[in-house]
Amino acid sequence: MSLVSNLFVLFVVLTLVIYYIVPKKLQWMVLLFFSYLYYIAGGAKYVFFILFSTIVTYVFALLIQNAHDSENRKKYAKLLLIIGLCCNLGMLGVVKYANFFIENINLLFKANIPGLSILFPLGISFFTFQSSGYLIDVYWKRVKAEKNPFRYALFVSFFPQLLQGPIGRYQPLADQLYVPHAFSFLTISRGAERILWGFCKKMILADWAGCFADAIWGNMDKYNGIMFFGLIFYGIQLYADFSGGMDVVIGIAEMFGITLEENFRRPYFAVSMADFWKRWHMTLGEWMMNYVFYPVSLSKWMVKFGKWSKQKWGRKQGRVVPIALADLIVFFLVGIWHGASWKYVAYGLLNGVIIAFSELMVNQYRNWRTKLNIKGTEKWFVIFAVVRTYIIVNLRWFFDRSDTLTDAFYMIKQAFTHFDPSQLMLISAGRGGTAFVPWALLIIAVGCVIMVTVGYFQEKGYKIRESLEKLPLPVTVGIYILLLVAIGMFGSTATPKGFIYAQF
Amino acid sequence: MEELMEILEDIRPDVDFEECTTLIDDKILVSFDILSIISEISDAFDITLSPADIVAENFNSAEALWDMICRLRD
Repeated sequence: MSLVSNLFVLFVVLTLVIYYIVPKKLQWMVLLFFSYLYYIAGGAKYVFFILFSTIVTYVFALLIQNAHDSENRKKYAKLLLIIGLCCNLGMLGVVKYANFFIENINLLFKANIPGLSILFPLGISFFTFQSSGYLIDVYWKRVKAEKNPFRYALFVSFFPQLLQGPIGRYQPLADQLYVPHAFSFLTISRGAERILWGFCKKMILADWAGCFADAIWGNMDKYNGIMFFGLIFYGIQLYADFSGGMDVVIGIAEMFGITLEENFRRPYFAVSMADFWKRWHMTLGEWMMNYVFYPVSLSKWMVKFGKWSKQKWGRKQGRVVPIALADLIVFFLVGIWHGASWKYVAYGLLNGVIIAFSELMVNQYRNWRTKLNIKGTEKWFVIFAVVRTYIIVNLRWFFDRSDTLTDAFYMIKQAFTHFDPSQLMLISAGRGGTAFVPWALLIIAVGCVIMVTVGYFQEKGYKIRESLEKLPLPVTVGIYILLLVAIGMFGSTATPKGFIYAQF
Repeated sequence: MEELMEILEDIRPDVDFEECTTLIDDKILVSFDILSIISEISDAFDITLSPADIVAENFNSAEALWDMICRLRD
């Protein structure tokens, strides 16, 4: 059931009505019922996977908790964690990467091993990470294992976040999912406001920019003079699509009185690649930081490597080398989390190399800035850093958007050897390819200006939603109607597409 | 405590470690700083940290860090 469908709107409304009319202690059960209904509507055959993930992490969390509580079984806690993680992440590994592995074995050894016909369950990358995070938190004694299997099942399956995150942590979600929520007009209207904004981003900006990005990537030879435009369109599409989707998801949860973690914080205002990853898909970044980056960095072999590195390169530089190595490992995993393909490996490693390099250079940069008397907070320097980061971010999309690694390199070559902006006017945009191209470009440009302006004020600390609430009611209603009309007018003429991140 | 302050100021000379008590909550220290601090205090105070120790309560201020060091040394 797509988030952009009338059926989904009906589904949310029905869930909300029942949620607020049942006795409050039953509210979490309503959410559980409708979450599973939502998942089954996407394909009953997929339910096995979410059930498996839920049961495995539920049982192993209890076993780990028991081991912690018992003096003579403490030593088994780590073993239980490893088994639990192997089962849960192993399922993800088999479903997502088995065929990629077989393909490469066949290529390498000229073998002919047949691929597995495995279903790709909806949202598997999100719910397995969320449940694995819970298991590790229980092992680290950050949370107590949940005893009620149904309550735990809701944590894994809460339907707004099921398909594309955000990847939630147990305690903040549990504190909200199982407690009663009274109906409040403000909660509903604020949620609706956020959903409306999300749909504007998705249905107007993302889908229109997607028309151009898809046309360019789909006809690389025909449009070989506008590859850089392709990058820019894809950058706009991806951000508006994913962050728009997050606005919808967070808005729906808000209507149920549940505040989900934010997944975006104006990433195109980032001043470095490290800063970009703290603003883009934040919950995946935090998951990787907590459950991969820190454990890898503090592992025995990495600590030993750190000591050797300090002896070899001195204290200051030496302590940075293991951090840079851990970053490479993390971004390799971030890459393959996005998909089983060499292009994603390249995409992840490219991010890792850029961040690792800037970390290795951190002391050097500091020295240069001191010599040049640059504090780093000067307006011109911030603008320079934002533009520089935006260019680097966009260049990486070659690997993310291209179908294969070969296509990515072909695109890069074309981008730097051909430039013919007139090709832009040849693109058949909109539904049936009938749109007037300058008009379509104007829609994208206006959308970007609005989004950047909103982002700029948010970056400066303005509370835009709170300001809207202070306006007279007719003005607020007028703004909502304007947004709805905009979706109807401009969104309906773009080529509609599903959410990009729902495929992960 | 003096040695800890020297380490912190060497890693992030732009931060007021004497006063700040929201180093993690306000995202003043990032993961890169945290690991640099861990690397230095592990050597200086002969302690071993685990990922479970990396929580805001242990890193929000110089004092919290010092408490953690004392606890781990014991």
